[in-house]
Amino acid sequence: MKDLAKYAVNKLLELGAEKGECWVQVENKDELNIHSAKIDLLRTNESYTLKLTGLKDNKKGSVTLNKINKKNIDKMAEKTLKIIESSREDKANDISEGPLKEKFESGPIAPEREKMYENLSNFLKNVKNDFPKIKLEQSILEHTKIENYYENSNDVSLYSKKGKYQFTSMFFSKDGKKTSSFNYTQLSTKNIEKPYYNSGTIKRLLKENQEQLETKSVPQNFKGDMIITSDCMGSFIGFITRYLKDHYIITGNSIFKDKLNKKIANENFSLYSKPLAEEIASNYFITSDGNLAENLEIIKDGNLKSFMLSLYGANKTGKKRANNSGGCYVIEPGKKSIDDIIKNTDKGIILSRFSGGNPSDNGDFSGVAKNSFYVENGEIKYPISETMITGNLAEILLNIRNISKERGNFGSSILPWIKTSGVMISGK
Amino acid sequence: MDFKKLEKYSKKYKNYTELRMQENRSTSIAIRQGDIVTNNQNSESGLSARVYKDGAWGFAANPLINDEIMEHLVKKATDNAQFLSKKASLEKHNLPSRKGKIHKDFTTSKKRYSQKELIEYLKEVDSYIEKKCSDVSARNTRISNLDMEKKIITSDGSDSYIMRPRSLVIISLTTVKDNQPIQLYDVYGGFGNFEDNFEDPSKLYSKIDKLYDDLMKKANGVYAKPGTHDCIMDADLAGILAHEAIGHTTEADMVQNGSVAADYLNEKVASELVSLVDFANKYEDDLCPVPVFIDDEGVKAEDTVIIKDGILKGYMNNKESAALMNMKATGNARAYRFSDEPLIRMRNTAILPGKSKLEDMISSIDNGYYLVKPSNGQADSTSEFMFGIVKGYKIENGKITDAIKDTTISGVAFDVLQSISMVSSDMSWSAAGMCGKKQPIPVGMGGPAVKCKINIGGK
Repeated sequence: MKDLAKYAVNKLLELGAEKGECWVQVENKDELNIHSAKIDLLRTNESYTLKLTGLKDNKKGSVTLNKINKKNIDKMAEKTLKIIESSREDKANDISEGPLKEKFESGPIAPEREKMYENLSNFLKNVKNDFPKIKLEQSILEHTKIENYYENSNDVSLYSKKGKYQFTSMFFSKDGKKTSSFNYTQLSTKNIEKPYYNSGTIKRLLKENQEQLETKSVPQNFKGDMIITSDCMGSFIGFITRYLKDHYIITGNSIFKDKLNKKIANENFSLYSKPLAEEIASNYFITSDGNLAENLEIIKDGNLKSFMLSLYGANKTGKKRANNSGGCYVIEPGKKSIDDIIKNTDKGIILSRFSGGNPSDNGDFSGVAKNSFYVENGEIKYPISETMITGNLAEILLNIRNISKERGNFGSSILPWIKTSGVMISGK
Repeated sequence: MDFKKLEKYSKKYKNYTELRMQENRSTSIAIRQGDIVTNNQNSESGLSARVYKDGAWGFAANPLINDEIMEHLVKKATDNAQFLSKKASLEKHNLPSRKGKIHKDFTTSKKRYSQKELIEYLKEVDSYIEKKCSDVSARNTRISNLDMEKKIITSDGSDSYIMRPRSLVIISLTTVKDNQPIQLYDVYGGFGNFEDNFEDPSKLYSKIDKLYDDLMKKANGVYAKPGTHDCIMDADLAGILAHEAIGHTTEADMVQNGSVAADYLNEKVASELVSLVDFANKYEDDLCPVPVFIDDEGVKAEDTVIIKDGILKGYMNNKESAALMNMKATGNARAYRFSDEPLIRMRNTAILPGKSKLEDMISSIDNGYYLVKPSNGQADSTSEFMFGIVKGYKIENGKITDAIKDTTISGVAFDVLQSISMVSSDMSWSAAGMCGKKQPIPVGMGGPAVKCKINIGGK
């Protein structure tokens, strides 16, 4: 594959492109699926993707296909050149600088299918015994092996081979005609030995989901505290980082556009993107713009330390390129326990799942609090439904009151619980 | 791809087997502030086999297309099913057969545009926005075309070929008011190749003018007042309500798991003004946005009546759920990529039109909202839903007044359907929907405007 990727780049240069890069991805997937409380589908896929990108006169174009042989690559290179020539000049277009040659390998490369089945059937059996009201929806255990080859005309040659397991479960509770809201969890791991049933936050989520069969709306509309659980924190990290990436920084519409090295969050809040962290199963070594990935400090002690710009975004704005492609988010833990954070809350909610779209360009967000609980005078009072939360992302970052010392490691991120304030909470 | 190659395997099965040869071809072009930031063509094709044996399913897929691979995939899928059936005793169902033979090619008869011509089209649109929309601070335009070409043969005798194209132009405009960016977008096009949907950029200009005008109104808009209000949900909202909040709960795999709709078959779940149908391929005499004639299990597709005059009448089934629930297979099993297994998916889900006039519906509200455009939607097992609203207006004393800023609406869908007191006589389809359920899949959503009570989040 490496030779074919090189061949594709050279072919494109031969035809007249000034620079070229090629990604080849080979993926093997083994996937066990639960349906109606039975493991009844085993799916095995093999896939190939070759993406060829070229530059000429600062114009850029690319073609992707999944039939990888020299004959197809020849045709593809011709097509790519036509697409490049049809484009518009943009001096920000470029490819990564060489010379650079590296190889990486991590995680379990071959699936242990018997152990996968055993782990998943153990999960099924335990859920049935311990949580009889739980109904499992889409629940999947998969093993993927991904090989990535990156070659470019600046003498960059990178290769990575990664394997991991990923367990996903969606579920809700049912008791007679009473139905609870659904919840879900996803865990990536490098080994299959530890039962998923005993991993992550699954048992707490299943227990809380059964409690969600009896819900009430909040007693009245109020501005209060919002304690975001580690399971829900991923949604909010996605919202924050969105404003730091190419689109918002290039268009100048980011709420954080003038905030580099300035305070954007409470001083106890530090956020990193750590693709090289050993404890993160969804780690990666090569960035999407063909460079080596490194860990990145995004927010340190409340101050914005880096935008998350690609090579293109950096060239376009004159700002610094981020040294990774995001993801693998880690938030530093705080000092208080989750129990203490709840005890010190006068009035608010614990937010376990946020059902809502991306915030508006100005950071305003609103959505429904799912699998969530009403808190008053330091106590969890009852599970809530039909409760909307409305706030502004920039404000809730500055309003952070507490960060828990406990964190959930989901294999794709390591996140604590965070309490913030000033959120409008409204009932039916 | 030579789709005829698949036919020679039609007699080679020992178990219930589906073979699919599929190619998805997509074109993506995006211009941001005049710069071409995406300029890509993508083609992905391959073979898949799915086998049902002793109550278990095995699936295998590979991008290579030749005799050896086809035989390997059938064997691999059989082995996969066998791996599971040996592990546990699974109930084997007699899968129903509603076989058919069909060949439908919706490729345009016009000369195809090159990538260069598509870029020129989008550049003209972008230049028009730059010239005409003076208060726009950021503009993004995008072409997104997807051709899905599938050949399916099944061991019970179905044989179908379809080339189903979709082409979209997406325009997003942002302005700044009081140092706050305000954004609005719209999507144009739908079923059909680009050449059939977009003849000339100038035909989009009046729509861009309208989008810009709406953006300016929104920039001067007000926050909606939180709480439950009388509202008119326009067609796009009614469509997303039909799809997200009701449709998903009536997909038979969800019903089998115990979704809220499992408890109410043949019971009143909505106002008698409400009828809701998942159309297979035609509404009245016109093709729907995502016409399905034979699904990816080889089932001849038919319309699925979900709610009739307020009564819950049926579910969307695949072969296995139909066997299990003693119902008809409805032709709702669909897969997105060649390497995906078919899942129960909606096709063209719509609330049927009623008899009221939109202007009468608006004038019947003293204090409420006219909600026009959703941004996204999510729904729950309880039928509780949340939709983002990017375009809407206040209604005061029966008249439309201020535009509102982005907000969110929520409610329990079956309660909202019960509260519907007026349904407009018109009907419009949204042809750009992409539904997510393990895999993405293009869907159509439609409806009239409905008057109902709904919870609005605001500031």
